[in-house]
Amino acid sequence: MIRLTIDDQEIEVREGTMIADAAARLGIDIPVYCYHEALGPLGACRMCLVGVEKMPKLATACTTAVQDGMVVHTYGEAVDKGRKGVLEFLLINHPLDCPVCDKGGECFLQDYTFQYGPPKGRFKEPKIQKVKDGPINEFVLIDQERCVLCQRCVRFMDEYVGEPQLLLDGRGVETVVTTVDGVPATSQFSGNVIDLCPVGALLSAPYQHKGRPWNIERQESVCTMCPVGCTTLATGRDGHIVRIEGRPVPDRSWGWLCDRGRFGYDYATDPTRLTISFLHANPEAAARTTRQVGHWMSDVMRDAGPDSIAVVMGGLHTVEEAHQVHAFAKNVIGTSRLSISRDVPGYVPRVLNGTYADIADADTILLVGVDPYEAVPVVHLKLRERQKSKRPVKILAVAPRDLSRDSLDVNTLITHAGQEAQVLGWALSQGMGTHPAVKKLAATAPVGVADEDLTALSEALGSSEHLTILWDGLQNEVGSVLAALADARGEKATRILPTWGPSNWRGFERAGFSADFDALTSLLEDARAGKIQMLMTFGADLLREYPDERLVREALQKVPHVVFEGLFRPTEPSLYGAQLPQAGPGEVAGTYVNMEARLLSATPSVTPPGQARPVKSYLTAWAHALNKPFVADDDWDPYGDDTADLLPFDGIQAKVWALKPPNLGNASGMELVTGALVIENGIPSHILEPRAPKFPGRISPQDAEILGIVGQGLVRLGKDGREIRVPVTVDERMTPGRIFVPLGMASCPVNRLGLGAVEVARLEEVPTT
Amino acid sequence: MKPEYQVWAEELKKEFPNANSALMPLLHRIQTEEGWLSSEVLDEVAHLMGLSTQYVESVASFYSLFYQRPVGKKVVHVCVGLSCMLAGSDEVMHRLEQKLGISEGETTPDGAFTLLEAECLAACDLAPVAQVNLRFQGPIHPDEAEALLSEEVSKQ
Amino acid sequence: MSQASHYLLRNHDIENIDEMAVYRAHGGYEALKKALNQYEPDALVELVKKSGLRGRGGAGFPTGVKWGFLPKDGRPRYLVVNSDEAEPGTFKDRELIEKNPHQLIEGMIISSFAIGANQAYIYCRGEFLFGYETLVRAVREAYEAGFIGKNILGSQFSLDLFVYRGAGAYICGEESALLESLEGRRGNPRLKPPFPAVAGLYGMPTIVNNVETISNLPPIVTRGAEWYASMGTEKSAGLKIMSVSGAVNRPGNYEIPLATPLRSLIDDYAQGMKPGYRIKCIIPGGSSVPLLMPDQLDTPLDYESIVKAGSMLGSGGCIVLDDTVCIVKASHRLIKFYREESCGKCTPCREGTYWMADVLERMEEGLGDANDLSLLMDVADNISGKCFCPLGDASIGFLVSAIKHFRDEFEAHVTEHRCPLGAKVYDTANN
Ligand SMILES: Cc1cc2nc3c(=O)[nH]c(=O)nc-3n(C[C@H](O)[C@H](O)[C@H](O)COP(=O)(O)O)c2cc1C
Ligand code: SF4
Ligand code: FES
Repeated sequence: MIRLTIDDQEIEVREGTMIADAAARLGIDIPVYCYHEALGPLGACRMCLVGVEKMPKLATACTTAVQDGMVVHTYGEAVDKGRKGVLEFLLINHPLDCPVCDKGGECFLQDYTFQYGPPKGRFKEPKIQKVKDGPINEFVLIDQERCVLCQRCVRFMDEYVGEPQLLLDGRGVETVVTTVDGVPATSQFSGNVIDLCPVGALLSAPYQHKGRPWNIERQESVCTMCPVGCTTLATGRDGHIVRIEGRPVPDRSWGWLCDRGRFGYDYATDPTRLTISFLHANPEAAARTTRQVGHWMSDVMRDAGPDSIAVVMGGLHTVEEAHQVHAFAKNVIGTSRLSISRDVPGYVPRVLNGTYADIADADTILLVGVDPYEAVPVVHLKLRERQKSKRPVKILAVAPRDLSRDSLDVNTLITHAGQEAQVLGWALSQGMGTHPAVKKLAATAPVGVADEDLTALSEALGSSEHLTILWDGLQNEVGSVLAALADARGEKATRILPTWGPSNWRGFERAGFSADFDALTSLLEDARAGKIQMLMTFGADLLREYPDERLVREALQKVPHVVFEGLFRPTEPSLYGAQLPQAGPGEVAGTYVNMEARLLSATPSVTPPGQARPVKSYLTAWAHALNKPFVADDDWDPYGDDTADLLPFDGIQAKVWALKPPNLGNASGMELVTGALVIENGIPSHILEPRAPKFPGRISPQDAEILGIVGQGLVRLGKDGREIRVPVTVDERMTPGRIFVPLGMASCPVNRLGLGAVEVARLEEVPTT
Repeated sequence: MKPEYQVWAEELKKEFPNANSALMPLLHRIQTEEGWLSSEVLDEVAHLMGLSTQYVESVASFYSLFYQRPVGKKVVHVCVGLSCMLAGSDEVMHRLEQKLGISEGETTPDGAFTLLEAECLAACDLAPVAQVNLRFQGPIHPDEAEALLSEEVSKQ
Repeated sequence: MSQASHYLLRNHDIENIDEMAVYRAHGGYEALKKALNQYEPDALVELVKKSGLRGRGGAGFPTGVKWGFLPKDGRPRYLVVNSDEAEPGTFKDRELIEKNPHQLIEGMIISSFAIGANQAYIYCRGEFLFGYETLVRAVREAYEAGFIGKNILGSQFSLDLFVYRGAGAYICGEESALLESLEGRRGNPRLKPPFPAVAGLYGMPTIVNNVETISNLPPIVTRGAEWYASMGTEKSAGLKIMSVSGAVNRPGNYEIPLATPLRSLIDDYAQGMKPGYRIKCIIPGGSSVPLLMPDQLDTPLDYESIVKAGSMLGSGGCIVLDDTVCIVKASHRLIKFYREESCGKCTPCREGTYWMADVLERMEEGLGDANDLSLLMDVADNISGKCFCPLGDASIGFLVSAIKHFRDEFEAHVTEHRCPLGAKVYDTANN
């Protein structure tokens, strides 16, 4: 530890700390532009000048490491003049168009100039002219004239994200930040440069000219687009959310977002949003619809008993809302048929749930099925940060497709679709076969996997001191292997991060719903068997989500009263007796639980549109109709006593059961492989339209050649008389014999077929885009 | 793109202990062949070097001798460094501009000449000095500036 | 004054010494043999320390001391020779590589042996096409003769030598920018520490030395440290090449013992001013240093004396400004050089040089106003000591001294709205 004095305050910090960070710890503000702790020192802008005793010149606080006994002054004549000088330099070629600049009022150039800068400009010469409002891509605009060349954006994309899509072009005062030949940046993380830009050079295209700092309000919120649960700031204006920014949390998050989370806020105003009620697919006044649902409820309860009403929780509801629905279902209706909408069957008990700290601390990270870049993007950045840190880490994957990327080095053991559990189980029994839990797996030898790969996997699983696993939940049996793995590894940390949706499933579980996939399945089977008279889904679109679309369809057709509450019109409105509009994130206060089992609270920025309202108002209305008291239990608190903002432990233990040998299907077709894409998770966004994959399916170059597809094409996938059409792209990373179709895309519903072998044929017609 | 570029790239990558160091030599070599570095060429170089196009573009744009616009058959650099200025390089440049009917930084419409300023060329003993396709010429008396244009020069 | 023999600019005495055969016929590569046969590497470092040789690239840092900074940790090391010479007024390295390349190569082999480097690089300025070709040829000759390659002259010492061509960027003369460029990147200077001796090329310990510095090695090995130290002063020992330009009768490179008076350099070596010209002021060490006035002609040309006189020996580029030169025009030209060559990484250098160049341009055109001079001084002060690398400070060295010595002339441009010396303002479309 190093002791030093800054402005007469003493502080002790770790060796290698920069003066700027030491000062920040003391709450002393040193102005910076180019410096960002996540990016490391650069020393380009020279804004952070400080005086250091015994140094002849002013030093830059961002590049000068602390030394024992150092005495630093962050103000004084020389420092003040130095800062003033730098600000004046930054302003000479700055267009000073603050009145029309979106950053006006929240700009570091303005703020520092106000605090430290010259009162008046002395520059009378012509300014250099550069590009204004040039595109970085569909979402990010660049005004090169406002740019102070701090390089944060370029370094972020290049060094931090590993997708070098911005560049410094030219030299000296002519230098600009740009993309090559105007080719749009495609990175999932491009929007972060808006937050990183200290001035108004990089701006949000959809937010451009939409608000001024003095007539907007920012609220602390949470992104619900995927289970990462990034912390955000939401800007509301005139009843709409018009901007989402990242919100750093000290020692936990830098505040990065993916473009999905940053720009996808317009779902709230999407034309498919439910803002009015429907009765039998016809628009109807909210009060009447609600009342009608109440009548059904009371009739069903009277005629068939409370247990013939089933409730499925899903979507973007808060924990508190789920708790209210749960309380209503339990106490007012009195049903025990409660479930969470699931799109994958896997489950991780709370005890095994890891946190992001387990990514930072792990020596081995295992990806089972999931491609973090696509499914849980900001976790991809965490993995990258981990991989770039000085401590070595192994990142392995067991998946039916190659999960390595230019920006992340992943050693993938490629399995057949549905073979992951067997491969993992067998690897486990090679190294720790004598452990009772491992024995219980009764794993059999997988076909088509090289012995040395299995040995390497087995060794990695056995030798790791801290193993962190990301799992997509696609194959239920993996849960058994992971439970055995954790058991067999004993004291050594084994932590699992479940990456599936709905993003708040763990919160629904906390509210009392069962996340057990079988519970949902038997609920649907009961419905199909005519045992359920009324099915109420909250936030869930089962037809799109549940892995077996046919079961859902048959079930819905059999249930006399199906009630849908949600943000958007359901996949097949005609199947629903009533549709009720939901109030969504940003419109209600509440808590969400992310894949770390961490509780994150959000403050609303706007009121719900149209007739949409908090779920509680429906519940209250129905309680009235039933003539029963409904105690909403408003001070219910999802937090526990001793786990801080992590969910308390719920006593559910990890289960191990014997694995069934996988059914790898017939040899003639291809294997259907799937996975979540955060960009296409069923939540509509007009802004993100350009990013939505037009050819979301993926096949290997070899298969493309066999099928006669060059670059992109359309294929038909068939199985057991059912079929879907999928526009596909040729992807080098695909293994021959596999075809990838993303999970939950309305245009190519993979749950119509289910995983396993499918027949694939090329269709001549080219899909319209 | 010419197939030999790939061969060159492999050669140069092998020549240097760190393959990245082959980038500038490759750009030089291809520029000598093509005259300038179009965006297609930079793209190709990126591909050959296993680098991103962004990276290559950023590097190329830093150096004044990598031409990212077409240049004339003869590129005339007039040194405007202080010593050459003292010896009359302004006048040399002025005469050449008059003669060619273009300004510094431009290329004649027939593609024969490009006229550029050079910072001190480290040949002040020859002031005022110029380079034609990087071959030194000097001292150049302003009255004889035009002779520079007919100078036979080897292809750089 | 004609000199009987040269030690660096040997091409002045011997024709075609750039050819291997000629170089060898005149004792070439004998120093290498001596170094490999008679010295341990550490003893060579000692020899260089004792000779008093200081870096000739500008900063004058003692070469042997720099070599001693290399960490002894078994990692590969590199020698990089800086032949990016672009400091206005300096043209000695170009002559050395074009006319006497084998001496540099011999010096590099000796130096590499001394510091334990098995790879050495010459970073050659992009504009030096001929110099580059000459070096490439000379290196090939040296490989063929067995002076470079595996097990050189049976000594077990192996060396590979690469010639690398820059592409037009003055900043790449700065050693860390040079290394960036050599690694195939934009030539932005690196953050120091770590210094190249600790983490340089490809992250390994690296010594960067100037062409002239390294060319001194063969004569020092041949004649001994005492011989070298006997020239010059105690702190500024040995020989220095001075490049003289401006209105002198014989512009060119001159190899002088350090501490030779400035007057002698101009009057004896460069044979005085051209008829009808008188000295207005002198830039003694390249465009980055403050000027000296005619009454300072007796200043001995050694590092310490010039500093005492208010300037620096720098790279030894001596530009003589005669009394017809407009000081504003000269200042403008130099600032423009720095504006063009600023890498753009840091704010004060990037913006400050742009600003000053514009103000000076206006002044030169007679459009200056009363505040411009104090503005210039203040802008210079805001650059001074606040830039990322020394280029920023270099940009104001001449200007500040020019304003100090020729304030009247600057002011006259503003009050009379024209150049009192009648200097012509050229207006090119793109200036
Ligand atoms: C802007 C700038 C330009 C420089 N240009 C050169 C150059 O062209 N040649 C050179 O040898 N040193 C140059 N230097 C000095 C080098 O950084 C370095 O100190 C030198 O090459 C070390 O060699 P020496 O110790 O032999 O002098 C320059 C420094 C700066 C700051
Ligand atoms: S002072 Fe700054 S801008 Fe100028 S060359 Fe050095 S780093 Fe680049
Ligand atoms: S923040 Fe220190 S130089 Fe930019």
